[in-house]
Formats: sequence, C-alpha cells, structure tokens
Amino acid sequence: MLNRRDFLRTTSVGLGAWGVGAATIGAKEAPPGSEVQRRPDEIHSAGLPNGWRTMRKLDAHNHVMSAVHRPETGWAEVDTLIETADRLGISQLICSRPVMAGVMANIDTVRDANASILAAMRRHPGRILGYCFVQPGNGAAALDEIDRCLDAGMVGVKLYNQYFYNDPVVFPIAERCIERKILFLGHSAHLTDPRTRAAQPKTSDSKVFCELSQRYPELMLILGHINGGGDWEWSIKALRNCPNVYLDTSGSVLENPTIERCVKELGHKRVLFATDMTMEGGVGKLLSAQITAEQREDIFWRNLQGLLDRRRA
Amino acid sequence: MIIDVNAGLGSYAFRSLPHSTPEAAVAQMDANGIDRALVVSLPALLYRDAHQGNEELAIAIAAFSRRLVGVAAVNPNYPGWEDDLQRSVHTLGMKAVTLHPEHHGYKLQDPAAQAALKEIEQLGVPLVLTQRFEDRRQRHAWDRAEDLVFTEVVAALAPFRTLRVHFSNWIGLDGKRLVDAGLKGRCLIDFARLHVLLRKDVPHLIEHLGVEAIAFGSHAPFDYLGPSLVKLSNLDTFSNDDQAQIAWKNAAAFFRL
Repeated sequence: MLNRRDFLRTTSVGLGAWGVGAATIGAKEAPPGSEVQRRPDEIHSAGLPNGWRTMRKLDAHNHVMSAVHRPETGWAEVDTLIETADRLGISQLICSRPVMAGVMANIDTVRDANASILAAMRRHPGRILGYCFVQPGNGAAALDEIDRCLDAGMVGVKLYNQYFYNDPVVFPIAERCIERKILFLGHSAHLTDPRTRAAQPKTSDSKVFCELSQRYPELMLILGHINGGGDWEWSIKALRNCPNVYLDTSGSVLENPTIERCVKELGHKRVLFATDMTMEGGVGKLLSAQITAEQREDIFWRNLQGLLDRRRA
Repeated sequence: MIIDVNAGLGSYAFRSLPHSTPEAAVAQMDANGIDRALVVSLPALLYRDAHQGNEELAIAIAAFSRRLVGVAAVNPNYPGWEDDLQRSVHTLGMKAVTLHPEHHGYKLQDPAAQAALKEIEQLGVPLVLTQRFEDRRQRHAWDRAEDLVFTEVVAALAPFRTLRVHFSNWIGLDGKRLVDAGLKGRCLIDFARLHVLLRKDVPHLIEHLGVEAIAFGSHAPFDYLGPSLVKLSNLDTFSNDDQAQIAWKNAAAFFRL
C-alpha cells in the first residue's frame, strides 16, 4: 500500500485495489442515529456499477498542454495522464494542444503545438491518439499541417475559438476533414456570462455547429464539452434539429441530469464520452446517469469507435 | 459509511433540479450508499428573509432526522438575524451555519458579516462557505453571484481564531496558506470539485493539512453523485483508517454528529 507521499508521486497501481484485512467499522464507531452500517470495503463499490473500472472507455476530448516534445519539459504531465486513465479504465484518449486565449497563432506556433501531441503519441502508442490543432486563418498552410499530422498518425482536427465555425475561412478545414474521413472537434459554449463572452467573443455555440453541419452533413462534427461552461440546457436543445452533430460529455461542470437530457433530446448514439481533463468527474457522471447499460456502453466507446472506423472503411 | 457534507434541498431559482425533495434525496442516498447528508436550504439563497428557508428546511427534514442534517442560513443584514441564529441552532437543531455573501449582497469583510462570524464562533458551530453553487459561465440573467475568492475569505476570517470552517465546493485552495492562516485543525474541505488523481488536489491538501481536513462532498442535487464516489474509490491506496476518515469520520467529528 502506498503512503500519502507516494500517492503524490504515482498513482499507477492495480485496479480496484483495497488493503487486505480491512477492519469492520463497528457500531461503536458509527455516528449516533445512522441507520446503515457497512464494512469499509463497501465504501468502494457504493453507488457505482459493478466492474466500472474495467468497462471499456474511449476519451474523445483530452489534452496535453505542455511542450513535451522539448527535452527540458519532461514527461510528467503525459505519464500522469496515462496513469489516471489506467486507474479509470480509459483505454484511449484523443488529445490536442490548442493555442488558446484567442491568439491568432502563426503556422510555426501551430506546428510546435502539434509536435507535443505527436511526441505524446510516440511515448504512449495506441493510448494517446491525436487531434491536429489548426488556426484556419493560416489558409493553405493549415491544410498542409492537417496532412502532416494525419500522415504522422493523428485521427482528427481540433479547432478552438479563433473563428466562428460558420465563417467561410473554416470551410476548407471542414472539407479536408470530409476528404480524409476524420473527426472535427470544436470548442463550444453558449456563454451567458458577459465577462466570459467578452474574453471569448468567437466561441461557437450549438446553432453555429448546426449551420456548419447543414452545409456539410457528411462531416463528423463533434460539439466539444457540453459541460465545459455555458448553458448546457440551451446547447442541447439547439441541437434537436441537427442530426449530424455529435457532442461530447466533457467539462468541469458535473451537473445532473446533463447526460439524461442529451440522451432524451438527441438520442444516445450522438453522445460521446469525454473528460477534457476532468477525468474522475467525467467517468463518474456517466456512471451515475439513469440510462441503460447498453446506452452507457455505446457512449463510453462504441459511438466513437464507429466514427473512427469510418476512416478505415 | 459515507457522510455527504455538501448537499442541498429545495427549489433553485435558475434551473430544475432532480432529487431536491427530502424523499428523493434519501432515495438517492440509499441507491448510492450514502448514510447521511448535511443539507442547506436552496430557496434561502434568494429569499429576502433567509431564515424562512431554515424554518422550511427544519420541517422538511424532520421525518428524516437520522439521514438529513440541517445547515442554517443567516443573512446578517436582515433584522433579527441574531435571534434566528440562536433558534436555528438551539431549537431547530441545525449543526452548522452558512453565509451566502454573494447571494445576499454583502462582503465577508463588512461589519455586519464580521458580527455574524463572531456570533457563529461563540456558538461553537462550524461555518460553511460555499465557493459557488453554479458555474458563472452559464448564469441566468438575474444571477449576479460571483465565486468566493480565497484570499478575501482568509482575510475576513483572520480575527476568528477558534471558528471552524467548512470550505464547501471549492477549487483553488492553497494548503500552505490555510496553514499560515492558522486554519489547520479547524477547517474541513470537501472534494466535490477537487481531483484525487490527475491534478492530485486532495493529496496535496492532505500534505499540508492532514487527512482530517478532507471530507466526502457531492454538491447534490446540482451535481451527480458518481464523480465523488469515483474519487472516494480512488483513495483505495490510502490506509483503511484514512479512507474512513474521509468518507465519514472527519465529518462526524467536525459537525459533532
């Protein structure tokens, strides 16, 4: 068993481990008035489906945010990401390193960002997959960068909030995704807070995604992080009549009943499990959602696998 | 045994909440292995007279006294708050007191709030400070509440050297600064928004404050219970006693349940 300091260094231990010889919490120790007495080993299964750690899971939206392709950076971030995935039973994570804060990154900066993902893919082959971040304003160079990333093994494109996705500058990116049969993951939110909206003036909401999907119905378009901030109820409703837009479940907001509302309004086949670095929360909310086991399995991996398989086909 | 120290009951003005009645909350607790929960009144967030939320909450949970533990809300700018505070603790049996400075329109440094903190300290019950109820990025047009700010809170608490404080639904807590502020040994932090793995917020806080500072919290009914159950499960590399402390013993001791 690890001590607390060891825990800070590593979490890579066996799934579902529990110390041998756990003592029963006796009635003497229980708070007065409590009605339910349990053995401490029951703490670990309480409320969670049996075998939850070993349920297959593909994370459709994650990140490597540091420049791990540079020797001075080290691998701590990437290795911790994989250790966490191991503990949660996430077999693959599709990662990107977007240039954020609205920066109109030039192509050299974009290539440098993607180099991090390629390095992480090489360190953990088959575990970390890649989205190629591009800045559409780079024009032909952005398209060349997509080809470079795909040739190196990436499986999709990630756009941030440099442009609304119904801006014509984005259309060549969408067309290249269709041509190469790859995923298009877009940062999204319906921001109702004026301060946040001012900081991200070109963040696309569901209606913008709908416009793009109506122009390109064959595009494998994923609305990123339904729980990434913004009014998720609005976002789900606005996708009702856009059957070709998928959404991912990620984000730091863990509000009940986001998952059920997605399934009810859109159908579970359009919902993709993801965490966007809120990994325990992302797994936990799907485990808690009142959906069938088959729906949960589809959301955890089968829906995304189906999209990835289209490329092979 | 699990005690959830971060939960609420009742209607919330800006969205429909599942499982927000006492009956539904207890059913959820049963289904998820949670034995007891400390609950605040959600309507009290926006009632002008927050104490009416305490009265309603006390009636609502009376039939579930072995499962649901009330937390009183006090608005120190409202007449009679001192009497209401005494009644909430001594007559209604509430085990802690919460202040909602953002929702009730004041700062913790204001004289009225400082007076309330002094009263709460003298009563010997814990203070609950919730950093936020909802993410501001999705706020309703009438929702003006900002997140509580760590440095401002620590400064406002500085004069009260024996006040016990539950930091509910927080991120961004600095363990060293909590130690420097003299809060080690008299603060409790729930992990509803913290990471056990990846960012390792919980292990880092334990390094500074000890395992006795951490408790299970879910932020139900706003949030799913699953995330916090997963985090509790991910503490399985800690000793059995550490896990039991986090699951329920720390809460039982802190709130004197």
